[in-house]
Amino acid sequence: MRAALIAALTAALIGAAAAQESKEPIKLGAIEVLTGPNNRYGVPAQRAFDLAVDEINKSGGVLGGRPIAIAYEDSAGNKDQAMNAARKLIGRDKVPLLLGPTLSNEMFAVGPVVNDRKIPIIGTSTTASGITAIGPWVFRTAMPESDVIPVTLKTAKDKLGLKKVVVMYANDDAFTKSAYDVMKDSLAKLGIETLATETFSGKDTDFTAQLTKAKNLNPDAIVVSGHVDAASGIILQGRQLGIGKNVRFIGGNGFNSPKLAEIAGEAADGTLVGSPWFLTKKDEVNQKFVKAYKEKYGDDPDQFAAQAYDTMYLVAKAINAAGGTEPEKLREALQKAKNYGVMGPFSFTEGRDPADASGVVVLEMQGGKFRIFGETS
Amino acid sequence: MLDSLSDLYWTYQNIIHGIAVNGILGLSVYLVLSIGQLALGQAAFMGIGAYFGAIATTKLGLPFPVALVTSVLAPAAVALAIGAPTLRLTGVYLAISMLGLGEISRLLFLNWEYAGGALGLSGIPARGGVYLLYGVLVVLIIALFFVGRSRIGRAMEAMREDETAAGVMGVNVPRYKLATLVASAMLAGLAGCLSAHLSSFIGPNEYGFEMATTILSFALLGGIGTPLGPVAGAAILTLLPEVLRFLADYRMMINGAIIVVAVLFMPRGLLSWRMKRTV
Amino acid sequence: MLQQQLVNGFVLGATYALFALGFTMMFGVLGVINLTYGVYFALGAFAALWASKSIGLSVWLALPVGAIFTGCIAIVIDTLLLTRLRRAKAPELSSLMVTIGATLFLYTGLSVVYGTEIRRFPLDFAPSAAFEIFGVRVVATQALIVVAALLMAAALIWIVRGTKVGLAVRGVAENPDAAALMGVNGGLVTHLVSFMSGAIGGAAGVLIGLNFNAIQPFMGENMMLRGFAVIIIGGLGDLRGALIAGFLLGIIEVLTAGYFASAAKDLVAFALLVITLWVRPVGLFGRAAAKRA
Repeated sequence: MRAALIAALTAALIGAAAAQESKEPIKLGAIEVLTGPNNRYGVPAQRAFDLAVDEINKSGGVLGGRPIAIAYEDSAGNKDQAMNAARKLIGRDKVPLLLGPTLSNEMFAVGPVVNDRKIPIIGTSTTASGITAIGPWVFRTAMPESDVIPVTLKTAKDKLGLKKVVVMYANDDAFTKSAYDVMKDSLAKLGIETLATETFSGKDTDFTAQLTKAKNLNPDAIVVSGHVDAASGIILQGRQLGIGKNVRFIGGNGFNSPKLAEIAGEAADGTLVGSPWFLTKKDEVNQKFVKAYKEKYGDDPDQFAAQAYDTMYLVAKAINAAGGTEPEKLREALQKAKNYGVMGPFSFTEGRDPADASGVVVLEMQGGKFRIFGETS
Repeated sequence: MLDSLSDLYWTYQNIIHGIAVNGILGLSVYLVLSIGQLALGQAAFMGIGAYFGAIATTKLGLPFPVALVTSVLAPAAVALAIGAPTLRLTGVYLAISMLGLGEISRLLFLNWEYAGGALGLSGIPARGGVYLLYGVLVVLIIALFFVGRSRIGRAMEAMREDETAAGVMGVNVPRYKLATLVASAMLAGLAGCLSAHLSSFIGPNEYGFEMATTILSFALLGGIGTPLGPVAGAAILTLLPEVLRFLADYRMMINGAIIVVAVLFMPRGLLSWRMKRTV
Repeated sequence: MLQQQLVNGFVLGATYALFALGFTMMFGVLGVINLTYGVYFALGAFAALWASKSIGLSVWLALPVGAIFTGCIAIVIDTLLLTRLRRAKAPELSSLMVTIGATLFLYTGLSVVYGTEIRRFPLDFAPSAAFEIFGVRVVATQALIVVAALLMAAALIWIVRGTKVGLAVRGVAENPDAAALMGVNGGLVTHLVSFMSGAIGGAAGVLIGLNFNAIQPFMGENMMLRGFAVIIIGGLGDLRGALIAGFLLGIIEVLTAGYFASAAKDLVAFALLVITLWVRPVGLFGRAAAKRA
């Protein structure tokens, strides 16, 4: 009788311990720029990750009840710090998967190390070319410019009949230079003539020299690859110099920011930019996400948040499919994973880039807000 | 147990490398400061060494020792070329001219498509390693100690205290200035090459004004009485952002504050040892 | 197109000149290359921005507010950092290094408080009319900057050359001890010069921030490197030189970008800087000589 009681107690204890063990959180690592000038890209990602994790954990977590937890490390936009963060998360904290880093430059430094160590790493905001070429453990859910820009330019050509343009780009930043390379390529493929190519520095504030030259060449549109700071200055000064409203500005992803309207005001009306995601996309999944994000953080989400949100759901699916966190299984599961998120349908190509570009929209600025190009409401 | 030791090392590997690289950079600026000149060109020389060394291994497929030699000779050549006109300038003019040259070199790298332009060079093979790094550092410290204790060292200190008097006493001031600049450029270039082959990626914007002032702060913090000073300064400033992670945002503020405090209150730096001389 | 480009260059040059006036004065009189000048630039802009947003001032009032505020800060910083060094007659390099450190500290501090996103003045801050003369388009703010640069230069030159205060300033600049013996209050003069150059820097920040609609904590840093070029080319300490060199640099930069290659635009300033230092270090009008080895 006593023996049975002890046995039962022991079994109960073991059972409790096992139950406890099975509720232990799955810890993932994330490296984002949380402080410093580029934290406008990293903080939304962190917020979106947290939002997604909250939702996933509330609805039962992964692997039959285990919650997900994320250990964040701040890289402050510094390559070395990103590197140290990666080594800490993998070497010391032994995370089975890394999210981030935020910047392409950081990924170029961190990626090879993580790849060598055979841990999967997913870039949610790294759009430069060559990221996934680093190795088979490097994934990217950020829609690269090479998928978005051709859509923007083609749409502009189809709807506006573009024949000749002037191109301007910031030549001191890997992201804007990469985007320019894509623009050059697309323009050539579409048979649009490039009348001139001008460069500027991302820190410049005076663009009158290049814009005067551009104005004189009478282009149908001016295609610009730059971050929003320079972009707003360019648009404003362009209009001041007398470049008419019929000459539109067409931008890469750097334009995709509410700052554009804030700084350039009216001058920015008619600006076109392609985006892999759009705030007021009427899709139900998207609307739910926007509402939840706004409730939790008080701000509208941006595309960095959207991409991160989708990625977290994708990762959760992969963990479940892999039945655990063993890196090789996780990697395989990721490669095959599919998700319908706020960006639309998602899956990876063989090269671990986003396979589906159907969610890309072309936006036009009107009255201080972006809306879908071509829609009149 | 062994597994966790090697994991521990792997975790902090980058920091361990960083201390040595920054130590060498500290020595490079120490050289110039010890003759009383303020050279803000170390970052540019580091960049030249990094780029040339990385191109040697990545694009030309040359073996690492060749890359190392290139990374030392290229900045030396540049230093020789600009040395003559630049070293006629003193103090503030010299500092500004080095800043200008640094910016020019950054802009040149930015526009040099072969070296990757704005995208930088990625995929640099991992070469060298902790033994090479620390070996080089130790050899340099010892070498500089010997130089410091010799007649050369005394001449350099004389120049630092009063250039005109030193010249009158027979020190060949221009020759020393040029030699020091070249040597300092070589050290910076070496550091650049070693560092590039341990971080697989370099970009032109890494070797600008911010890096120049960071390197300066190594020597200012550690003091320039002996070669150990800048190395100690480098070690502290490399570890600081890791130890005080929550201060990440303030890293540059702290660097700045250190320079201010060092110049105002600790002109001799933390390690205020003076070199004992036998000659 | 040439006329428009020339006007572009002229306006850009005015911004450089405006920036350089206070910078060169600080060096000429106080004998110190004060890198925190770039911070004054940003501070003036932010102060005026605050004034325009919270009290609704327009440029005519916000500008003096920004200038005076920055002038006072300049006095504080100068006292904290440089008085000690000056009293100890420390080498120039020390003041250069100290201001490098202080600049780093202040820029980063400002960006921690305000974030690094750019801002602009409210739309009704300044007249925004644009007019077209002889085929050239000019905006009101651009005209404002050119006029301001010329006026300020004229005012400064008049003060320094033509008033007793200016005499005292020049006396202290040349020989502080002799000036003290003659009854000049060196400390007061130093404070005055700090105030003036800080105020000019702040005013420049407001006007330039207005013209380019780009106010952010690091705005002074980019101007700073150009500022070096201007004051060296013009001659350290020479107000005329700063004015002329500023305009010259602006025009050359714009013409290079417009007719040669825009990628070379940034190189111009530094190339000119280095060439000046090698060929004629005193610049166009400078007095101090580099040592000949």
